[in-house]
Amino acid sequence: MALMEKFRKTEFYKSIFRHSYQDTQRNRALQIVDNVFLHLHPVRVPRHATNIGFTWGMGGITFLLFLVLTITGVILMFYYRPTAQYAYEDMKYLMNDVPFGPLMRNMHRWAAHAMVLTVMLHMFRVFLTGSYKPPRQFNWVVGVILLVLTLLLSFSGYLLPWDQLAIWAVTVGTNMARATPLLGHEGPFGPELGMRINNDVRFVLLGGTEVGPPTLLRFYVGHCIFLPLIAVIFMAVHFWRVRKDGGISGPESKKNF
Amino acid sequence: MQQFLEIISKPDNIPIILLLVGAIFFSWLAWTKARRNDALEVPVEAALDDKVQVWPYLVRVEFLATIAVMAILVFWSVFLDAPLEEAANRALTPNPSKAPWYFLGLQELLVYFDPWIAGVVLPTLIIVGLMAIPYVDINPRGNGYYTFKERKFSILVFSFGFLVLWVSLIVLGTFMRGPGWNFFWPWERWDPHYVAVLTNVDLSELLFNIPTRLPDNSINPVAMLFGAVVVLGYYSIGPVYWMMKRKDDLMQKLGLVRYAIVSFLLLTMGGVVIKIILRLAPMAFGLNPVKYVWVTPWFNI
Amino acid sequence: MADETIDTPQPDAPAAAGGSTPKISPTPLPRKPKQDRPPEQDPGIWRMNRRNLLSVAGWMGFLGFIVVSTVGALRYMFPRVLFEPPTKFKAGFPQDYVVGEVSEKFKDEKRVWIVREKDGFYALIAICTHLGCTPRWLPGDNKFKCPCHGSGFYKTGVNFEGPAPRPLERAMISLADDGQLEIDRSIKFLYEKNEWGRPGSFLPFTG
Ligand code: HEM
Ligand code: FES
Repeated sequence: MALMEKFRKTEFYKSIFRHSYQDTQRNRALQIVDNVFLHLHPVRVPRHATNIGFTWGMGGITFLLFLVLTITGVILMFYYRPTAQYAYEDMKYLMNDVPFGPLMRNMHRWAAHAMVLTVMLHMFRVFLTGSYKPPRQFNWVVGVILLVLTLLLSFSGYLLPWDQLAIWAVTVGTNMARATPLLGHEGPFGPELGMRINNDVRFVLLGGTEVGPPTLLRFYVGHCIFLPLIAVIFMAVHFWRVRKDGGISGPESKKNF
Repeated sequence: MQQFLEIISKPDNIPIILLLVGAIFFSWLAWTKARRNDALEVPVEAALDDKVQVWPYLVRVEFLATIAVMAILVFWSVFLDAPLEEAANRALTPNPSKAPWYFLGLQELLVYFDPWIAGVVLPTLIIVGLMAIPYVDINPRGNGYYTFKERKFSILVFSFGFLVLWVSLIVLGTFMRGPGWNFFWPWERWDPHYVAVLTNVDLSELLFNIPTRLPDNSINPVAMLFGAVVVLGYYSIGPVYWMMKRKDDLMQKLGLVRYAIVSFLLLTMGGVVIKIILRLAPMAFGLNPVKYVWVTPWFNI
Repeated sequence: MADETIDTPQPDAPAAAGGSTPKISPTPLPRKPKQDRPPEQDPGIWRMNRRNLLSVAGWMGFLGFIVVSTVGALRYMFPRVLFEPPTKFKAGFPQDYVVGEVSEKFKDEKRVWIVREKDGFYALIAICTHLGCTPRWLPGDNKFKCPCHGSGFYKTGVNFEGPAPRPLERAMISLADDGQLEIDRSIKFLYEKNEWGRPGSFLPFTG
């Protein structure tokens, strides 16, 4: 204990922690302001914002799940090779022989499902409390973009195990792109605009004329790099806007202070 | 029935159960809160109007929520394995073959619409429609608290879209669509050899016996005209209503642009329901299901 | 021109009067840099004149660069060469096929059914015209049935139930020099375009 006291007095300790841990109003505020992660929050919030019955905590849980997915996803990448030859084998290997492999894959899979679920419920709550009304209109739009990105992330990940479930779900899903009006080779007015099986939107998505090895690679890059990057950018905007729009929404009379 | 229980307990179907339970639970929660606020003069959140410090009051809630979520997730992942089926095989389509669960509502719509509508136009309209909500809902009340009384219309429309058209179609697509995408009641077995005899007809054929195609397989212009009248007539309900009500206070405030967007989106949502009914209702009377309302050389609706 | 006057250096009267070196005749102050023009006076890049010509040219170049890079990036996503299995293949001798039967011999590998009728052959592509699942041939019901959303097709390939918007596609079928059937999947015949009568969509054969 005494040693700890001594350590607290060193320059080294003080260079990391700028204030004492004594429970005072000031330290509580500093705890938030002096911490790069926590300072996403304001120092004080309306009482109802801490009530889980009001927000359902769904936005925060969505973000937590995104973090879990990032970490478990990176771990899976150590064993997974995105080629048609190896992808399925690597999945089998992960599930049968890699220590904690099944746990990592299961957590990644279930967290992905859960995130889709919580993001939908978050949207439902935001709608029901009317939190999209002025001044938060634009943050709702950002939210819709995040919803779409979440679905795309989940869908692109669905192909990666390269099993029957994966390729048929993706075959059916991407075949709809054939029928895109104007841009698909079977869509209304697509052929008239010169769309063929090897130059329409579906072709870009698949990197070929059918779901094959190039598709696996495209979905992999999209799933592991492109989409998460875009999602992180939009989440940053989303959180920043929650603060700039006046914090968690609440009834009018609270605006007095 | 036993098979239904098996399907329900498949690991990959747990999210759907959670979705169903979650949607019901949170609807109930929001409903009780809305009723309570509606009964009071001032919403509860406004009455408790003081601020609390984030450290510790909010951070501790977040911390506990994190622990709870992680505990559930680890527990879930230890006891249930993520599915891994046979290796990919392009020649063998599993029967039934389903999209990921969150797209099953859209997959269900594929039964009623051509892919360009169900797969492209409707999803786009859902996204655009969601984004438009804050800009077309000009009702200033109910901002930041649960209420039903003050925004009945918007809550009813959104809940219908979310709970009926999104959640229940997902549930239906998961649990009641079996081999061949045939419909099975929970107490029926999924029989892979079950053959539903469905001969499609088009609306003009069902109602007036006007065939949509001539004997040489080209489009019958009369039927095409009929379809155009039906579809465009349906969408002109919007403008007609505007002409009748344009002096209204609400209409004045809404303005023409907002009104056009709202009426188009609502009519489209209604159109989806109508097309589903057109497909299913004739079968109840022993008639053939309707496939298209409007057939043209370029697209069919 | 209005902006001309703004850039003209103004003699700085107070500085000249109260300066510590009054004897030296006031040197004109250095020309104010362009940015100092008050924003209200900035003509913007859209009002082209002698002064902002370079600025406009610069922005146009910048815009051009962005557009060209975007187009290039998009083009990059369309591969020029595909590593997909060849679409043309030999399918054995006509005598190997039984009249009235739908042969599934090449379904797995090439996704084609070869149908032998009394008066000849046709090749149906085993891809559902709805969303691309592989339908099943049900000999008992004499039809193709798609497992994904339940489309049904007659043996000829014509759709009659479920969501498929059009009949199955037929592939080019011909007799090669060595007497074997030859099928080219890349040449398709569509019923709804009245192409099923064309040579290649049906191979007359009796024997
Ligand atoms: C990746 C997905 C998303 C993440 C991580 C996320 C995260 C968050 C978080 C942490 C909050 C703080 C309040 C709370 O927890 O409820 C929040 C608020 C908000 N979110 Fe999201 N969100 C996401 C998607 C969405 C979607 C899909 C919508 C709506 C379409 C949306 C609209 C909003 C709005 C309008 C607020 C402000 C609510 C208020 O002030 O009461 N967000 N979001
Ligand atoms: S893909 Fe065949 S019915 Fe949908």
